[in-house]
Amino acid sequence: MIKFLNPSYVFKLSGKLLSFFKAVLLPIVVVGLIFSLFLSPKDYIQGDTVRIMYIHVPSAWISLLSFAAISFFCILNFLFKLKNVTLIYKSLAPIGLTFNIIAIVTGSIWGQPTWGTWWAWDARLTSMLILMFFYIAFIFSYKFINNSDRSIKACTLISVLGLINLVIIKYSVEWWSTLHQPSSISLTRETTVHFSMLIPLGLMLFALIMYVAVIFLMKYRIETIRIKRKGIRKL
Amino acid sequence: MNFEIFLMDGYGVYVWSSFGFTFLVCIYLYIRTKKTLKKLEKDFIKEAQNLPEEQFEDIRKQKIAKEILISHSRS
Repeated sequence: MIKFLNPSYVFKLSGKLLSFFKAVLLPIVVVGLIFSLFLSPKDYIQGDTVRIMYIHVPSAWISLLSFAAISFFCILNFLFKLKNVTLIYKSLAPIGLTFNIIAIVTGSIWGQPTWGTWWAWDARLTSMLILMFFYIAFIFSYKFINNSDRSIKACTLISVLGLINLVIIKYSVEWWSTLHQPSSISLTRETTVHFSMLIPLGLMLFALIMYVAVIFLMKYRIETIRIKRKGIRKL
Repeated sequence: MNFEIFLMDGYGVYVWSSFGFTFLVCIYLYIRTKKTLKKLEKDFIKEAQNLPEEQFEDIRKQKIAKEILISHSRS
């Protein structure tokens, strides 16, 4: 376990994992797209628009999970000052922001044929938009605050406030009357999505997780090399 | 040719634009990240090679620097 705190071990491991994830990414994406676009059935009410679910839902999950992970690592870094952890949240934040934007845009496109509008200021949509601003504020605070201690404090504050927003996003469809439907998939309840639609959803989630892993590892290597370059310049 | 599979009862424009947007964003992020990584690796090696030979040899012995050199030579 301790070896995972060793930057040189993690850097070497990231290279090996990157090659593996790159190799499996394309076949999984192709299979996922074939199932999502052609093999999965239409919804009896929404028709073919239900196919948007296969990218909208995994993107939203990834953006929420990324922010939860960022908050966890920020608090960890605030308490124990671990340099490796800084690299992790700096690598994760742009990915989380990207998937947050994808979830908002695809949700908006899905909204037009199903709700008759591109956007509504309902609780779920608004709280997802607020998450985007949390991501932007978080990225700005580590990019533009030069003082390391201040940057860590700002990042931790934003991530903790963002955690409250994550709870609001999760329960927004239960606490308020919203256009957005309640969650169909839950860890505690039986899913209301048919098996024939769960397969493409699972495949697309897996494909996007592989993609996230590839980008995350490349970004992790970028941040590590940046630190090493600073070391060279000091010589 | 059966275009119905692409038209999707008139909903094709929504479905294809959602998938297309996601695809373009993902491709852009991948290319940009890869380009930055390659550039940083190149710059790192360049800066290390500009150091006096003794210091360059010291850096080459470091595990991360070694890994960067290997990764860059592979690509």
